[in-house]
Formats: sequence, C-alpha cells, structure tokens
Amino acid sequence: MRRIIFVVLASLLTVGLLLPLTGSSASAEDLTPDQAARVKENCVSIKSSLSQLHASDALLRVNRGQVYESMGTKLMDTFNDRLASNRLDTKAMNTVTTNYRSALTTFRTDYIAYEQKLSETIRIDCATQPNTFHAALEQARTLRAKVHEDVLRLHRLIDDYRNSVSDFLLNYERVSN
Amino acid sequence: MEQNTPIIPTKAALAELSFWDRHRLSLLLIITVTIALVMTGISVVIYNSTGAAQLDLSRPGYRSVSSQVEKTDEIDTYSATGPVNKDTIQEFMKLYDAQASKAKAVDAFNGDPLNPEVLEFGTPAGE
Repeated sequence: MRRIIFVVLASLLTVGLLLPLTGSSASAEDLTPDQAARVKENCVSIKSSLSQLHASDALLRVNRGQVYESMGTKLMDTFNDRLASNRLDTKAMNTVTTNYRSALTTFRTDYIAYEQKLSETIRIDCATQPNTFHAALEQARTLRAKVHEDVLRLHRLIDDYRNSVSDFLLNYERVSN
Repeated sequence: MEQNTPIIPTKAALAELSFWDRHRLSLLLIITVTIALVMTGISVVIYNSTGAAQLDLSRPGYRSVSSQVEKTDEIDTYSATGPVNKDTIQEFMKLYDAQASKAKAVDAFNGDPLNPEVLEFGTPAGE
C-alpha cells in the first residue's frame, strides 16, 4: 500500500515539474502552417532585412547615445555646477538631471537586451525552426518598442530641464528685483 | 687544486632532481598560457556585459555603417564657471534650445520594422 502511495505521489510530482516545460517555445503564438511556409520560403530575405536593421540600429545607438550623453555632461551638469559655484539653489535642476541620468542608464541597458535578442534571432535557422524564430522575433520587437519608449522619456526630460531653467529664471528675476 | 663543477649534470645528479625541477620550463609555459586564457575570458565577458560590444562598429556586419558614425560631437559645451545673472541664464537657455532641438530631431527606434507583416509573413498573401 505504501509503495502504491509513493508511486502515485512520485508520478504527480514528476508531472507537476514537467508540465511548465511543455510547449515553452511560444505555443500560444505559433505560426499558422501558411505563415510557417512563408517564413521558410523567405528565410534568406527576412534574415537579410534583420541584418540591415541590426546594423542601422547599432549606428543609431552610437550616434544618438553620444548626443544624449553630451546633453547631460556638456549642458545640464555644467549649468548645475555653475549655479552651485554661485551658491544658488539647484534642487529642481539636479532632480531632473538625476532622472535624466537614470533614463540614460535604462536606455543603455534596454538597448543591450534588444541587441542581444536580435542577434539571437538572426542566428536561428528560420528555414528549419520557423516557430522558434517567430517567438524570438516577437521578443526582439517588444524590446525594441521599449528602447523607443526610453528615447521618448529622454526627450521629455530634456524638455523638463528646460522648464526648470525657465522657472529658475523667473524666480531669479523676482528675487533680484 | 680547485675542483670545477661539471657543466653537464651527471645521471646521478639528474636523478636527484624532483619532477617540478625537471619540468620547470613546461610548467612556466602552461601557467603563462592559462593566465592568458583566463584574462582573455574575463575581457570578453566584460566586453559583452558592459555594452561595449554594442558600440563597437568595427565588428563584422557593421562595416557598412561604421563610416557613418558622427565623429564630431553635435552638442556645444556651456562653461561651468563664471557669474550667474539674467543675461548668462538667457544665454544658456538659447544654447540649450539649439542643442535640445538637435537631440530631439531624430525619433530613434520608432516604427515597427520587426512586425511580421512588415517582414511579409504576418498574413497570408491573398488576404
């Protein structure tokens, strides 16, 4: 009797452990047979498009990253330092600058995740594994959208800093008059 | 009379040497190669994990775009020293507006180029 209970429990445990692993490769988002056939058929051209996007996005990352970095170091930091050296209140500008730095770090991290996923997608053989390829492509797509959100956030923070400086000027004029 | 030590060790002298004494050169080479491999491994991990790999356009596959990298910085610097008054703040705002418009000129990573429909396998050809 004990042996039967042990076997049943062991079976349940095994099934419980293995269930989450089944159908892990995007079973819910599997391609239709027609789509899979078209992925196999156009595999070379799809991969070529992805490689071109991979290269152009890398260029965008380098060029835009440099501009965003310079906005922080060459303008925000220097202006904050100038105000601080003149013993003026820089709290509002410092807060925006900190948020900007944090957004820039998020942008860098998210871009790394996106680039790694896109590279992984390009390495998958879409002629033999169309579903795995599609699942990886969807993940890369989501990560790219996240990078775009980061860019929009950086743009908003650039505007926020400008507004903080405007507010500072208004206060400065009010105090000095 | 002075007794000279023989240059070529005798068989008896060689037999007295320990294993590590006899393979000193091999050991040195093995340790050197191992250290070089470990250091190279660490470097590659750092290169990949810090994001340096993503900025390295000299890698294969990026040659076509590496010439398009902007080598001069678009953003002008504002001096961190000097007085602060209405004129200097306005001067900063003027400079900042010009640089901000450059920074925001490109809506980077917009669009949806990874959409299956863009890649022409999203919907059946007849639909």
